[in-house]
Amino acid sequence: MITPLIIATQTVVNEQDVVTPFEQALLVGLVFVIMFGLGAGLTPRDFKLALKRPYGLIIGFVTQFGIMPVLAYLLIITFLFQLEPEYALPVAIGALLMGAVPAGTTSNIFTYFSKGNLALSVIMTTNSTLWAILMTPLALAIFGSLLFTQESEFQIPVVNIVVTLATLLIPVVAGMILRRYSANIGAFMELLGGFFGLFFIVFLMATWVPRNWALLTSTPWQTYMVAIGLGLFGIFIAYFLARAIRLHPANARTIGLETGIQNGPLAIAIVLLTFANDPNIGLILIVPALYSLFIVIVSTFVTIWFRRANTAEEQKIPNLL
Amino acid sequence: MTQRPWLPHYADDVAPDLGEVTFSHLPDLVRASSSEYASTIAFTQCMPNGMNGSLTYAQVDALSDDFAAYLREVVGLAQGDRVAVQMPNCLAYPIVAFGVFKAGLVLVNTNPLYTPTEMVHQFTDSGAKALVVIDMFADRLPEVLPKTGIETVVTVRIAEFFPPVIAGVIRMVQKYWNRTLPKVTVAHTTFQSALPAGREKKTSDALTGYLTGIGHDTVAALQYTGGTTGVSKGAMLSHGNLVSNTLQMIQMCGGYMRPGLETVLTALPLYHIFAFTVNLLGFYKLGARNILIPSPRPPSNLKRAFENYKITWVTGVNTLFNALLNERWFLDSPPRHLRASAAGGMALHEAVNVRWEEVTGTPIVEGYGLTETSPVLSFNPFGPNEKPGTIGIPVPSTELKCIDDAGNEVAPGTPGEIAAKGPQVMLGYWNRPDETAANIVDGWFRTGDIAEMDADGFFTIVDRKKDMILVSGFNVYPNEVEDRIAALPGVLEVGVVGIPDDKSGEAVRAYIVTSSDALTENTVIAHCRETLAAYKVPKSVRFVDELPKSPIGKILRRELRAEAVTSATASIETQGRELS
Repeated sequence: MITPLIIATQTVVNEQDVVTPFEQALLVGLVFVIMFGLGAGLTPRDFKLALKRPYGLIIGFVTQFGIMPVLAYLLIITFLFQLEPEYALPVAIGALLMGAVPAGTTSNIFTYFSKGNLALSVIMTTNSTLWAILMTPLALAIFGSLLFTQESEFQIPVVNIVVTLATLLIPVVAGMILRRYSANIGAFMELLGGFFGLFFIVFLMATWVPRNWALLTSTPWQTYMVAIGLGLFGIFIAYFLARAIRLHPANARTIGLETGIQNGPLAIAIVLLTFANDPNIGLILIVPALYSLFIVIVSTFVTIWFRRANTAEEQKIPNLL
Repeated sequence: MTQRPWLPHYADDVAPDLGEVTFSHLPDLVRASSSEYASTIAFTQCMPNGMNGSLTYAQVDALSDDFAAYLREVVGLAQGDRVAVQMPNCLAYPIVAFGVFKAGLVLVNTNPLYTPTEMVHQFTDSGAKALVVIDMFADRLPEVLPKTGIETVVTVRIAEFFPPVIAGVIRMVQKYWNRTLPKVTVAHTTFQSALPAGREKKTSDALTGYLTGIGHDTVAALQYTGGTTGVSKGAMLSHGNLVSNTLQMIQMCGGYMRPGLETVLTALPLYHIFAFTVNLLGFYKLGARNILIPSPRPPSNLKRAFENYKITWVTGVNTLFNALLNERWFLDSPPRHLRASAAGGMALHEAVNVRWEEVTGTPIVEGYGLTETSPVLSFNPFGPNEKPGTIGIPVPSTELKCIDDAGNEVAPGTPGEIAAKGPQVMLGYWNRPDETAANIVDGWFRTGDIAEMDADGFFTIVDRKKDMILVSGFNVYPNEVEDRIAALPGVLEVGVVGIPDDKSGEAVRAYIVTSSDALTENTVIAHCRETLAAYKVPKSVRFVDELPKSPIGKILRRELRAEAVTSATASIETQGRELS
C-alpha cells in the first residue's frame, strides 16, 4: 500500500495540466449541443409520460439513481480510500458525481447494436435526464455527507451543482422549442447530438490522453478500478437484476446498458462549470474523464457479449431514421 | 334488380346513389383538386425521426405534368403502355402515379419487397415498358431486367423534395449507417433529371393530346392480386372504376370528410389498392393533407407523425390499429384531433374496434372490398345506424348479394358467397379471359368471401371461402375463433388455421403472439370453450414470436397452414412456449 501513496503525492496536478481553456470551452460547447439534441427529441408529451407513469420506468429509476450512486460510494470506500486523503477526497468527488449523473445518450447507440429495446432506451435516458435535476443533487447530498465529514475541507457544493444542472437544461428546453418550430431542424440536431456524444470521446482520446499521459501512467490502479468498475459493474448488476425479475432479455440488456452508461460529458461539464476556481479541479476530473474513455471500451465488449449470448433474438429494422 | 334492404340505413346526409360522374378520367379529378386547393399542402412525408418534406397541390400538379411529358416525349411511350412503379410511400409516388395517368399510360403498382421472381412475373405479365423504382431496391434489377420488356428505368430517392440539407443527411445515413443504398448498375435516369427534361418538352396542347380517347372504360391501372392464393394476375381498373370508387367512398362518409380540412395518416403502402383509392385519390379529391409514412413498422415509426401533425383521419388494417393500441406513447396521448378511422384489408377484430373507440374517443368503421373492386364495396354508415362487427352496407350505387354455389341469392341470415355489382367492379383480369369469365358472371363479380346479410341489409363476413376449416364436416370460420382469442388479455396477434388431422379431417390450431407469460395453451382453450361450440375450439395452440403477414399487415393463414403441415410431417413440434 506504500507505493500508490507515494505516486499519488507526486502527482498533485493543477488545472492547466488537465484541461486547457480551449478544451474547456469546447467540451462545454459539445455538452450544450448534446443536451440540445436530447431536447430536440423531446415533446411536452414525454414530460407528461414521465410523470404519469413513473412506475413503468421504476426499475430504470432505481438502478439509475439507486444502484449507481451506491456502487460509486462502495467503490470509493473500498478502493480510493486506501489512498491518502489529499488525493482521494477530490478524486472521490468526481467519482461520486459520475455515479449520480443521469444516463448518457450513447447508451442508445449501444442498445441498438446489442439488439436491445431502443424505444425503452430512449425513454429511460429521457426520464433519468429529467429526474436528474432533483435526484443528482439528492444522491450527492446523501452520499457526500457519508464520505465527507463536516470538518473535511472537501465539500460538495450541492447548490452550485443544482444551478449547473439547471443551466444545462437550458439547451434541452431550447431544443424542445426549436423542434416545435421545425421538425426537420429538431431531427437534425437530435442526430447531431448523438454524433457529438461519440465525437466527445474521440476528442478526449485525441487531445487529452496524449497530453496527460504522464498523469495517466502515474494514476494509481485504485482510481482505474473505480472509473472502470462503475460502468462495468453497473451494467451487470442492473442486467442480472432485470433478469432476476424475469424481464425480457432484450429489455434486461437495455436496462443494463442504460444504467452502466452514464452521461460522462455532462459530469465533466458539471465539474468544469462548478469547480472552475478549485485548485483541485484536475483531480476531480480524473474519474469522469477516465470513465468516459473506458465506458466506450467496456460497452463495446459488453455489446459483443450480449450479441453472442442472444443471437436468437433479432431486432429487425434499423430505425435510426 | 335484387332487393336493397339497406336503403333506409344510410346516414342522413348520404344519398344512396352516386349520380352522374362529372370527371371523365383521373387526370380530370386531379386537376380539379389541384386548382381548387393550389396553395394547400397536399403531401407531407414523415420519416421515423420527424424529418419531413412537403408538396402543395399546385406543385404536385405541375410536377406530374412534367413527368407525363417526360414519359411521352423523352421516353417515347405511347398511349396505353404500361409503367411499373415500385416504391414505398414517399413524395415521388403521387407525382409518378398522377404523371402516368396524365400521360394516358397504365400504372402497374408493384410491391418493393417483391423477390426477383415475383418482379419478373409481374413485369412480363403486364408487358411493362418502363419502371420507376426506389434506388434502395435497385440492386435486383440486373437480374430482373433482361427477363422483361422494360427499356427505361427511372430511379427515385426516398427523400425526394425534402429540404436539401435534410435530404443529404438522410442519404448519408442510408449509405453509411444503414447501408441500404446499393449501387445502381443498370442504365437509368434519376427522377431529378427526368423532371426538367419533361418540363422542357411540356406544352398544354400535348398534355391534352395524351388523353384523347381516354374515358371511363379505359384501363388506368393493372393492380396485381391473388398473390396470397396462387398465380398473381392483374385486375384491370379503369378510370371510371377508380373515379367512381373515390366518389362513392367520400359520399358514404358524409360530414366526416370535410373538404379542405382533413389531415390523413397514410401508413399503409400506396401501391396497395386500399391506400391508393382511399388515401391517395380520395383525400386528394377532398383537398386534405396526406401524411405519408414510408415504413410503419415498428409502430414507433408513427410517433413523430402523431406528434407533429394534427391528424384527423387514420386508415389502416386491424394489425396497425392493434399495434398502436399496444404502444405506450399512443395510449398516453392518443391523437387529439382525430375524427374518424377506417379499417379495411382484413377483418377488424371486435376487441380492437372497441378499444380503439375507447382510447381515441372517435369512431372506427370497418369497410370491405377487394382489389378487383377498386376496392371499396361496403362500409358501416357513421352515426347511429352503425352495426359494429359487420362490414356495413354497400356504398352508393353498389349492389351486393349472397349467393349459393349455383349462383342463386340466398335468404337473409344464410351464409353465401358475396357477389357485387357497381361502377367500381373491374373490367376483368389482364390477358385472362377465362379467369374473368369465371369471376364475373352476368355483370356480378364473385368475391370468394362468405357472408350473411341481415334483414336491414348489413353484411357480416363469415370468412374467406378457402380459409374455412372443415372439422368432422362442420364449418369453422377462423375469423370467429380469432375474434374470441383476441379478446384475451395478453394476446397481441392471433391467426387460426386448419391442420390435417387423422380423426376429424382437419383440426383447429391457433398461432398466438403474446406479451404475457401467464397465457398458456390451457387458458386459451378454456376461454374458447366458454363461448364457442366444441368443434370450433382450437385443439392446439402455438405461441410464436411473429405471424407471417402480407405487406399491408394482413395475416397470411396460407403460410401458417404450410408451416403447420411441414412441422407436422417433420415431427418437429415446438415444446410449448419458449421463455426467452
